Amino acid sequence: MTTSVRRRRCRGAPRRRRPWAGAASAGAVLLPAFPVLVALAGPLLPLSAAPGGAPSAPPGPGHLLGTDVLGRDVLALVSRGGLSVLGMTAATLVLAYAAGVPSGLLAAHGRRWMDETVMRGLDLLLAFPSLLLLMTLAATGHRGAGTLVAAAALVQVPAVARLVRATALAPGCRTAVEALRLQGVPEWRVQCGYVARSVRGPLVTDAGSRFGLVLYLLASANFLGLGLPADSPDWAVVIERNTDALFLQPAAVLIPAGLLMVLCVGANLTADRFLARHEGRSR
Amino acid sequence: MFRYALSRVAVAAGQCFAVLVAVFALTSLLPGDTADVLIGEQGTEEQAALVRARLGLDQPVVSRFGSWLHAVLQGDFGRSLVTGLPVTHEVTARLGTTALLAGCALAVVVPLALLLGVASGLREGSWIDRALNGATVLLHAVPEFVLGLLLVAWLSLGLGLLPATAAGTTGAQLPGTPQVLVLPVGVLVSRQLCDLARQVRIGVAERKDGPMASHLRLLGLDEHRIVVRHVVPNALAPAVQQLARCVDGLLGGAVVVESLFAVSGLGTGFVEAVQNRDLPAVQCYALVFALTAVAVNLLADLAVHRLVPVREGRA
Repeated sequence: MTTSVRRRRCRGAPRRRRPWAGAASAGAVLLPAFPVLVALAGPLLPLSAAPGGAPSAPPGPGHLLGTDVLGRDVLALVSRGGLSVLGMTAATLVLAYAAGVPSGLLAAHGRRWMDETVMRGLDLLLAFPSLLLLMTLAATGHRGAGTLVAAAALVQVPAVARLVRATALAPGCRTAVEALRLQGVPEWRVQCGYVARSVRGPLVTDAGSRFGLVLYLLASANFLGLGLPADSPDWAVVIERNTDALFLQPAAVLIPAGLLMVLCVGANLTADRFLARHEGRSR
Repeated sequence: MFRYALSRVAVAAGQCFAVLVAVFALTSLLPGDTADVLIGEQGTEEQAALVRARLGLDQPVVSRFGSWLHAVLQGDFGRSLVTGLPVTHEVTARLGTTALLAGCALAVVVPLALLLGVASGLREGSWIDRALNGATVLLHAVPEFVLGLLLVAWLSLGLGLLPATAAGTTGAQLPGTPQVLVLPVGVLVSRQLCDLARQVRIGVAERKDGPMASHLRLLGLDEHRIVVRHVVPNALAPAVQQLARCVDGLLGGAVVVESLFAVSGLGTGFVEAVQNRDLPAVQCYALVFALTAVAVNLLADLAVHRLVPVREGRA
């Protein structure tokens, strides 16, 4: 959908370059860098997130940003809570592509019935709102980071498989592929070595925007208490714990919320830029 | 149209059945079933076996699914493990609140998205177009609970304008206290608005210079009439599909927004049921949400087919 819009612009009169365009693109790169830096470097700081202080104390000496409802230092919590946010998102994406790419290739080049089964089965999965599946799973006591990641990955598989199937159909019928087959190269090597390579570009672009989606889904699930334990320093969990004390100690809620927001917006901005560049190159 | 509708309804029926199977499988076949919940942490295996026998949980899976399905189709979801009341009572009591919330959100989002989409589609590259694009990325990326909390901090805490939660307001009192609904509806709208407006914008931008619009201009129709009567109606097909996805998003968003603002709707009920591991209630909530999603997608596909008829039998 965005393709047609961009193409239209190219055909029209050349757009004058806006003075802030450079600053905006620099911002798109720098924006997610800050929360990512906090998430990755934060755990290295010698801060203790053990409960001990007075609950919901305002910022002051000893606790630079105050404490949360459990009496934990907000600065220490914030610096530790980003790693699980990034780690779970990355794990979900890896799992989703590990399952989605083979099923998409199978649907594109396997037998007809295989294609039908994979695509119809995925259709059914699409009927489920993602949060719903996570909540139903949590109801039977299956909560925790591992289950959450597995379920969130499962929900992504249909879209990934569909994308892979659509992009792998044409390259899989090229003469080069026929020649490889005639030379007796095994089918799995044709698929992994040649066809999968041509799917790489669209997949990378997809991963960019899917990162934002998964981040959103996992944060919402953790906010609802479906994943990590309630004493985890994860940003979403800390926000949930401290929501009731928002008026008393706003820092404990607003700082992790701000970091999550910047991370989400930054991830989406970067994905958008990525998409634009990729489309420009492929033409 | 009729043939397409028939096949699409068949798909939806298949989806409904799959939803029923999935909900049953998730809640009854995984370890951690009703008996485990009832006897609690301290219960022994013998006690669990006794409870299972009493509830009929030791029967074969297929016959259990059969009797469950039979009861569910008659509207009997069993009794809540927490309150002991029939599950359907609680769910129907909460239905109105969520319907009100989602209805308000839709009533705001549809006209607003149409207005913004048409305005930016007609003037590509203008400031309104760029502002909409920027807002798309910003508002769509942020999870509802983050946006909601930031709005509460700004509007309720900072400016003292709106109530921060709907706690203490029952479903029946909600229509009388609209100020409670402003923030929840606003958060729901802001996440869905941009995508919907974007779809309308693309449709309008593509069709306003298309062959049909050019022809109408040659015929001498005035621009206003061309846009309102011909361009916009033709641009709506992709937007209808997006609207279905938007309702899907509203369902998920309602769960988060309701629990953030303590609105006593289906979402909070679902979260409570999950936390208490009240399996009969979870089954009922999950079915209500999933079947709504199936129904909305069915309606959207039928509407799109009506708007863009594909020649049957030849395509």
